[in-house]
Amino acid sequence: MGDDYTRLWTYRLKWLYTLLVVFTLMLPVFYVIYISFNQNGFGARDYVFTFEWYSGIFTDLLLMNALGNTMLLAAITTVLAVPLGLIAAKFYKATGTDRAKLLTVSLLLSPLFVPADILGSALLVFFKNLNIACATAGEWLGVSWFETWFELGYFSALVGLIIYTIPYIFVVILITMGRYKEQQSEAARSCGATAWQAFYQIEFPQIRAGVFSACAFTVILSFNEYTRTSLLKGGYDTITSVLISQMLNEGMSEQSYAMSSLISFIAIAVIGSIIIYTLVHTDRLEREARAKAQPVMSS
Amino acid sequence: MNQKNDIAVQVSGLAKNYGAVQALRGVDLTIGAGEYFVLLGPSGGGKTTLLRLLGGFIRPTAGQILLHGRDVSEQPPNRRPTSMVFQSFALFPHMTVAQNVGYGLRLRRLPKAEIAARVDAMLEMVGLKDLADRMPHALSGGQQQRVQLGRSLVLEADILLLDEPLAALDAKLRKDMCLELKHLQEQIGITFVHVTHNQEEAMTVADNMAIIADGVLVETGTAQDLYENPQARFTADFIGENNIFDGRVSGLTGSGVEIDLGFAKFTVDAQGQTPRVSDMVSVSIRSELVRVLGPGEAPEALLQTVPATYGEAVYLGLATSHVAKLANGDNIVARHVSRGGTSDDFEAEAPLTYAWPRTQMRLHLS
Ligand SMILES: Nc1ncnc2c1ncn2[C@@H]1O[C@H](COP(=O)(O)OP(=O)(O)O)[C@@H](O)[C@H]1O
Ligand SMILES: [Mg+2]
Repeated sequence: MGDDYTRLWTYRLKWLYTLLVVFTLMLPVFYVIYISFNQNGFGARDYVFTFEWYSGIFTDLLLMNALGNTMLLAAITTVLAVPLGLIAAKFYKATGTDRAKLLTVSLLLSPLFVPADILGSALLVFFKNLNIACATAGEWLGVSWFETWFELGYFSALVGLIIYTIPYIFVVILITMGRYKEQQSEAARSCGATAWQAFYQIEFPQIRAGVFSACAFTVILSFNEYTRTSLLKGGYDTITSVLISQMLNEGMSEQSYAMSSLISFIAIAVIGSIIIYTLVHTDRLEREARAKAQPVMSS
Repeated sequence: MNQKNDIAVQVSGLAKNYGAVQALRGVDLTIGAGEYFVLLGPSGGGKTTLLRLLGGFIRPTAGQILLHGRDVSEQPPNRRPTSMVFQSFALFPHMTVAQNVGYGLRLRRLPKAEIAARVDAMLEMVGLKDLADRMPHALSGGQQQRVQLGRSLVLEADILLLDEPLAALDAKLRKDMCLELKHLQEQIGITFVHVTHNQEEAMTVADNMAIIADGVLVETGTAQDLYENPQARFTADFIGENNIFDGRVSGLTGSGVEIDLGFAKFTVDAQGQTPRVSDMVSVSIRSELVRVLGPGEAPEALLQTVPATYGEAVYLGLATSHVAKLANGDNIVARHVSRGGTSDDFEAEAPLTYAWPRTQMRLHLS
């Protein structure tokens, strides 16, 4: 609630407006969910409620295969990119000069400012050339064991996803890290902790929320990514590539609507819990800060 | 005890640059084991830098650090016989008071029962027995600093480093905790190295202290040495309230040094120093030794006198400062113990004589 002078109806109006914006943004998603429960599928005049398409997901080999690939990509991206982003955030905090900070930020955030298709095609060209170079070198040396290393596939798709997700991870972790006081690590060191112990016993518990949010973000971003992944994935299918190729051709299958809805449910649940957790957490931190500002009287 | 063990800290040629900033320039310093040693000086002088070099949080640009005879210049903080207390924000906010204090012991993988016993004893010692299960944010500033002390002392490190440990506390609490720190150190007997910019705090706790300014170690000595017989002009200016006169040596007679101040000539004892004629030097006299002579009052033979034009009286409780202008425009201050009544009333602009014992004047060559 606002303060004592807030007029109730303006307060309600603001909430109404917020809800309206969210609702508008989410409308297409709701529509997909609505269709996914219709026996007759997209565009049909009659609506018959059913779970049929949801049970169909698991027997749709194309979808299941794509889901497997997507989950694997998301998992590996998270495992590799989150520690990288964490290290980058730590470096940013530790580095002394403004110039080094500016350089770090511009380098790390630059993937955000390159359009998806340009970054994707640049990487595509890069990998193609690398392949040609490997093939040429292989021919020249008379060995072939490294010739397939850089062929389009999981590896190239992962590189694309990691480049894409690192800026988000960096920013999310840096925000939580901002509150952390470096003296605590130093105090731990002087209590006998190694640098690693000081990190995981003292600093990590305090930035955990940020690291977990970054993980959730990474998974969701990897799931959603189409342009870069589709350019770099080689012959593998991912969820987005299947859905989009269906849309461009014969239209999405009913199972695909069900699958999309399922993914939306999970994403909304994950993001929703992060937001709620973060709000609760921030609230707690604020209360603690207030308590600090008015310490218990008595020495 | 062998000789090696008698010296806790020995630092030679220690220097630290932060880019172009020379925070510390070639400091030599020796601190005896079991001493309460204070690094005192103005902000930005390099005290924290020196302390952090001892603790191993930053790497020296040049020089050597021996702790109990062992060269630790290349050792990280956790391998040094030191423990550090910070000004603030250093408690682990996700641990209770007891967990904070026991942290270092848990790192050493001591048995649970032993940790609990030692934590209890330490909490008792720093007066936090009843707050063992509190979280740090629910403590007052003074209590937080006690937790930090306990967390360090429980490790029984040989050297405790304290960086402005009382600076975040209010004046009254700071005074009380100063004495507590002193008594704690006497009781435990380990070496304390305490950084502060507060003169009173320094003098309360220190066995020995060093004045540090502009990255240079100006002077070391006991509180009494530095207050009564400072060698450096800077020390005289920084500690206590001194009247300082700058001038040129105009003559040498035996151990007497004649100094031309422009508006007057003083003769002071060389005190073992060897000034040369026409050197720029300074003379200082503590303001509480200076007296304002009443009109018509004849000076005794042993007093140095200067004429001054009276300015104003500043009442400071215990003392009253009588500020006057010298012929060269500088101020001179005489501090009299406040007596109440009107016995010390002087007219503004009145021509008066300020006087002090010649033997109490100190000569500063630098
Ligand atoms: N990390 C740093 N980077 C750059 N300059 C620093 C850094 N730490 C301290 N300094 C500079 O070094 C000098 C000494 O600082 P410090 O040791 O903190 O002084 P003190 O503790 O006596 O106030 C100051 O001029 C300060 O600005
Ligand atoms: Mg300092």
